[in-house]
Amino acid sequence: MGLCNERDFLNFRQYAGPNGRKPSSERPIVPNSPQPGASVGNDNLTVKQKRTAQRAAKLEEYRRQEARRLRNRKLGLIGGITAAVAVVALVVTVVVTTPQPAPSAQYAGGGTGVVVEGTQTFDNRARHVETPVTYAETPPTGGDHASAWLNCGVYTQPVPSENAVHALEHGAIWVTHSPSMTEEDRLALRAFLPSTHVIMSPFEGLPSPIVLSGWNVQLQLDTVTDERIPAFFEANWKSNSVPEPGALCTSGVTAPGLV
Amino acid sequence: MLVLTALVSAALVGSAAFGIGRMTAPENSRPGTTSAEAGFARDMQIHHDQGVQLANIVRDLTADAPVRLLALDIAAVQGQQSGQLYGFLTEWGLPQAAREPSMTWMSRAGRTADGHEHAAAHIAGEPMPGLATPGQIAELAAASGVDAERIFLTLMIAHHQGAVEMADAALDRASNASVLAFSASVKRSQAAEIDLMTGMLSERMP
Repeated sequence: MGLCNERDFLNFRQYAGPNGRKPSSERPIVPNSPQPGASVGNDNLTVKQKRTAQRAAKLEEYRRQEARRLRNRKLGLIGGITAAVAVVALVVTVVVTTPQPAPSAQYAGGGTGVVVEGTQTFDNRARHVETPVTYAETPPTGGDHASAWLNCGVYTQPVPSENAVHALEHGAIWVTHSPSMTEEDRLALRAFLPSTHVIMSPFEGLPSPIVLSGWNVQLQLDTVTDERIPAFFEANWKSNSVPEPGALCTSGVTAPGLV
Repeated sequence: MLVLTALVSAALVGSAAFGIGRMTAPENSRPGTTSAEAGFARDMQIHHDQGVQLANIVRDLTADAPVRLLALDIAAVQGQQSGQLYGFLTEWGLPQAAREPSMTWMSRAGRTADGHEHAAAHIAGEPMPGLATPGQIAELAAASGVDAERIFLTLMIAHHQGAVEMADAALDRASNASVLAFSASVKRSQAAEIDLMTGMLSERMP
């Protein structure tokens, strides 16, 4: 443990101390050194007595050094432990209080992220026109449209596409079905729908018995019991990826046949 | 020995720091899709959107400045608040549409549901409290002048009372700080507006 034992120290006159310093000159190795103006009378001591005194002084100095060394070791250790503990505590605190990153969101506000199986996507632009529009998709999913949006609701007659497309721009879903759909199926389909931001209407010439359309998204379906209907609503209703999410689906124009 | 002591102290302080950190970390958890927070954020959007609709209708039916100003105020506030609720859901990574019927969140028990009638709340899928029916909206749209003002004020007082009821239900069920603050604010402001509209309605009684 120690750098040297008591015997070594006593035999090593030029021992430099634990920190490489010579023993402090403030504490003279030889006691009984004459004080200025004082008459001590060392002359009376024998050589043997002098040596004994010197040994005693060295021993005392060694013990002092040793005590200091132990104290320094202890201080160093405590300091080290404190620092290590502080670092651990700091790291843990930072880790714990750091906000958890959101698990990769399934939906961007009900919009992108989830694509329900069979969904087609398009890249129509939005522009207001006051003339009839020929749309690329059947039924339309976007593109030029009338300045007045269609009021949402369930219609028993076909509605003007130019107005319906404007409602899609506001986040509505347009549920179109074959004009020959049975009343039973129509009621079953209605049961799935939210109370706002939905248009339901018959549509001539659909590619499948039921077509769900949002802004630039479309899903063709065969039956009202297809479980992709609620999935499509979850993924696209009032979607954040429409041009004007949260805009009105009331106070626009109402077409004939609103239930 | 000292090394062991150091390790033990490090472990002790580490776990203490973990515990303190965990307990003091801001607890504004992300609500799940069937939570009261999500249900409230979805249904209150629909409720507020109808408030905007009613206000827009009456502004076209009367020239009365106080009613038109009130309607403008209501339309702007409820449209803005509806957007906040939309944003909450976006922030939580939740769809705007729920797989369960509307108002299901209010059919679940609240914290104070110990037989209180108001806390027992609602049947899932039933219309929201205070929501005007399509027939009532048509009646308003067909009226004009002071008749329209009276119908509007009557419908909007009930609408606000329903909103306060829903805000109370959210305060009783939610733990998300944003939703609690929102609900408390809706409750305060709409209760004050109910008083205002009650006064305006009595002034317009024949």
